[in-house]
Amino acid sequence: MAKRKIQIEVNGEGVTLEVEPDDLLVDVLRRDLKLTGTKVGCREGECGACSVILNGKVVPSCLIPVMKADGGRVTTIEGLGKNGDLHPIQKAFVEKGAVQCGFCTPGMILSAKNLLDEKPNPTIEEIKIAISGVLCRCTGYQKIIQAIQSASEIMRGKEG
Amino acid sequence: MEKEKKKKKVMVKEKEVLEIPPVVEELSVVGKPAIRVDAYDKVMGKLAFGADLECLGALHGKVLRSPYPHALIKRIDTEKAKSIPGVRAVLTAKDVPGRNGFGAIIPDQPVICEDKVRYVGDGVALVAADTEELAIQALEAIEVEYEPLPAVFSPIEAMSPDAPKIHKKGNLLTTAKIRKGDVEKGFEEADVIVERTYSVPILEHAYLEPDVVIAIPHPDGTITVKGPMQAPFTVRRNIAPVLGIPINRVQCVQTPLGGGFGGKEDSPIDIGARAALLAWKTGRPVRMEYDREEITLSTAKRHPMIIKCKIGAKKDGTFVAFEGTIYNEQGAYASLGPVIPPAGGVHAHAVVMLPGPYEIPNVKVDGYLVYTNHPYGGAMRGFGAPQVNFAHESLVDELAEALKMDPYQLRYKNAFHLGSQTATGQILDQSVGLRDTMEKTREIFKWDEKWRPNPTPKELEGLEKKRGVGMAVGWYRTSIGISSDGCGVNLHLMEDGSVLLYQGLVEMGQGQFTSLSQITAEALGVKLEDVRVVTPDTDISPESGPTVGSRSTTLMGNAILQAAEMIKKPLFESASEILGVPADRLVAKNRLIYDRENPSHSIELKEAARRSMATGRRMMGQGWYTPPKSSLDLETGQGSPYFVYTYCTQMAEVEVDVRTGEVEVIKIVATFDIGKAINPIMLEGQIEGGIMMGLGYALMEEVVMKDGFVQNLGLQDYLIPTALDAPEIIPVYIEYHPNLHGPFGAKGIGEMPNIPAPPAITNAIANAVGARIRDLPAHSEKVFQAMRKIRK
Repeated sequence: MAKRKIQIEVNGEGVTLEVEPDDLLVDVLRRDLKLTGTKVGCREGECGACSVILNGKVVPSCLIPVMKADGGRVTTIEGLGKNGDLHPIQKAFVEKGAVQCGFCTPGMILSAKNLLDEKPNPTIEEIKIAISGVLCRCTGYQKIIQAIQSASEIMRGKEG
Repeated sequence: MEKEKKKKKVMVKEKEVLEIPPVVEELSVVGKPAIRVDAYDKVMGKLAFGADLECLGALHGKVLRSPYPHALIKRIDTEKAKSIPGVRAVLTAKDVPGRNGFGAIIPDQPVICEDKVRYVGDGVALVAADTEELAIQALEAIEVEYEPLPAVFSPIEAMSPDAPKIHKKGNLLTTAKIRKGDVEKGFEEADVIVERTYSVPILEHAYLEPDVVIAIPHPDGTITVKGPMQAPFTVRRNIAPVLGIPINRVQCVQTPLGGGFGGKEDSPIDIGARAALLAWKTGRPVRMEYDREEITLSTAKRHPMIIKCKIGAKKDGTFVAFEGTIYNEQGAYASLGPVIPPAGGVHAHAVVMLPGPYEIPNVKVDGYLVYTNHPYGGAMRGFGAPQVNFAHESLVDELAEALKMDPYQLRYKNAFHLGSQTATGQILDQSVGLRDTMEKTREIFKWDEKWRPNPTPKELEGLEKKRGVGMAVGWYRTSIGISSDGCGVNLHLMEDGSVLLYQGLVEMGQGQFTSLSQITAEALGVKLEDVRVVTPDTDISPESGPTVGSRSTTLMGNAILQAAEMIKKPLFESASEILGVPADRLVAKNRLIYDRENPSHSIELKEAARRSMATGRRMMGQGWYTPPKSSLDLETGQGSPYFVYTYCTQMAEVEVDVRTGEVEVIKIVATFDIGKAINPIMLEGQIEGGIMMGLGYALMEEVVMKDGFVQNLGLQDYLIPTALDAPEIIPVYIEYHPNLHGPFGAKGIGEMPNIPAPPAITNAIANAVGARIRDLPAHSEKVFQAMRKIRK
């Protein structure tokens, strides 16, 4: 197939790419843009390790044809935190012990970010639903949920 | 007379123990909830896992897998595959230069099958090509002619004399037993006897990071294999004979593990040996990755077991006899199953643990580990203990019902305490806090308020949902045991006070690098951030054994303490010269060295380090720790197989939908007797994660097999708990029974949390709706059917 030229805004920066039309978003991110913080755990859209935010929605990037992202906005884990400072969610994950092996962590944090962007003060049930698309085999989820609650408090405190 | 003797022995032991508790100076790093050393890299997505590494010019390796559970290979034709441009190697059994076999205990699994395949997924040929697509094309172009053989899929059937023989020596791989007292007499003395059969399914580890390795051959005849591995030394000792070269020519380098849970003790041997062989034959780097379905299909699983057991008790609940038989299904290859001294695999552990943490005077256990044509059982968190814990904790619960006793009281009455004798005749001479964990859990959970006898069907009439509570206790070893397992470390102090820690135990999420750094910092008197853990690499890390068996913190911690002493002696000589204080009065803490009698009289530690460097004093220490000698006589089933145990009590509250059988776990309180928490927040992480894995075992996880084929290869069918399944978990630990052989009193924690969670949950289901699930998992249909059966 002939390569196609596409434009995506990745982590706030516009990039122009030549891709195979049947490329998946996850491969373009990892292989071409070297954004390896996005992980691949199953390639079947089940584990959520490859979750990124595409146009304001959390999606498994292993199921998204890259052509679908043409003209869109993508946020990966590398897009969080400014000038080396951690995003409050990242900071909360560190401090609350929400990280173990770290393989699900990027997908978890992005799911949490999207939730808190939409709902700054979510209930535990809403947090559980928001991260239920990302599997974690290490933590039992409890510390992840606590970290998101903590980040929510801190972020609201700052804004208020 | 005999009894009196035993009693005396116990008394002596108790006295010894009371005298020993060590005086420890106030700790500044150990025992603190320090932030993990790898946390920042992980939240920023910067930590490079194996799949993130680039390797210029690497070929892509693939395995051709058997589509039959049992078959002879009549012919393999690789010519077409070899002729595809860009395909660099197509290997069959005849291409293996050395031993065509690997395995963590015995090398009975072919790197490439020669004449026969033994399960669906067995490796029949290997290919390496310029691209992954070409490698797949090559696989498709290989022609294999099979002659299917009758297959066997149950351990009991496989033991019958006319069963198809999977390996030349027959299907019974190994047996293990316990003989204590006289069980026949014991059951005669019993007022109540309960006899049941329990069974547990095959489980997949479902670590999120797929297996991946890069094998790089070097012109000097050495080879490097990089990847996520729990046991790089075991991988090394398997690759060398496959290539027919000495062990010192194979370098295994650790990449961070995205979860292991025992699975990556085995799988890196498999993928590592195959990638190494392709690299060796092509002279090119080879990258090999198993996709999710391939992992479920072909790598090690949790052993499924059928467990028959029988317990007898007096009217007052005193246990008098226990008898059990374990039919333990090994699957196609030995992996970490067998008991072949000096190795004591899953099977030995299951047999030793089956009678539970209870004093029982008469015990008889027989365990049969049997080959079948299913995927093979290996190590998985708990190493045989979760299977048998489900059996003994369900059985004791059913006995409590028969005795009309509170299951807490029944367990407490018979639970191990200091000086108890186990079924293998071991006197528990130290660090036994089981009853304290029971008391603590009961109090926090409010067991006495919540527990009521199981309901009758009549009581459930008209109800939509019903809550119930259940409990389970457990014990788990620290270290591999049975034979000994040494653990080595090198520690280097730099003249600026920073430290390098060279050791071979791996970071797989459990926080090993952090807890070992904390112990190092505490022992040398530096800060946590002064310690850097060198990536485990078999070329530079001392042999440390595998990262398994809840052994790492305890064994490596002790080795580090030895190494630190070796550095501190010359360091204190240097400090003594500067401070003018005798070396034996000096203390190193928080980057300072000071006079114990006058703490303000101090120097910076780095000053002493500089002086040591300048005066040629020793700046490195070495540690090698071997735990106290353990034993298990395979003939009598007697001995002290493990030197210390962690104990645990878990109580679960569940809500069962009476109409559908659906179970929601509401809350779990779990208390652990862990000796010492090196890092409390990471300890809690181990507890919560382990319990959640146990919840999966209890309610949903099962590799479904049909005619030798896995029916649920992907994570859309093999279900593991999501956030929506997460109950409230209250992690509790006690530290007043220190392990006398542990650093700062610590003992293992990694596996214990996983173990009693399933029976605590299924006992709670029985308590809620009277439905007793004896065959895991307790998914809604099974609970529904069990409820229906009682109503009839």
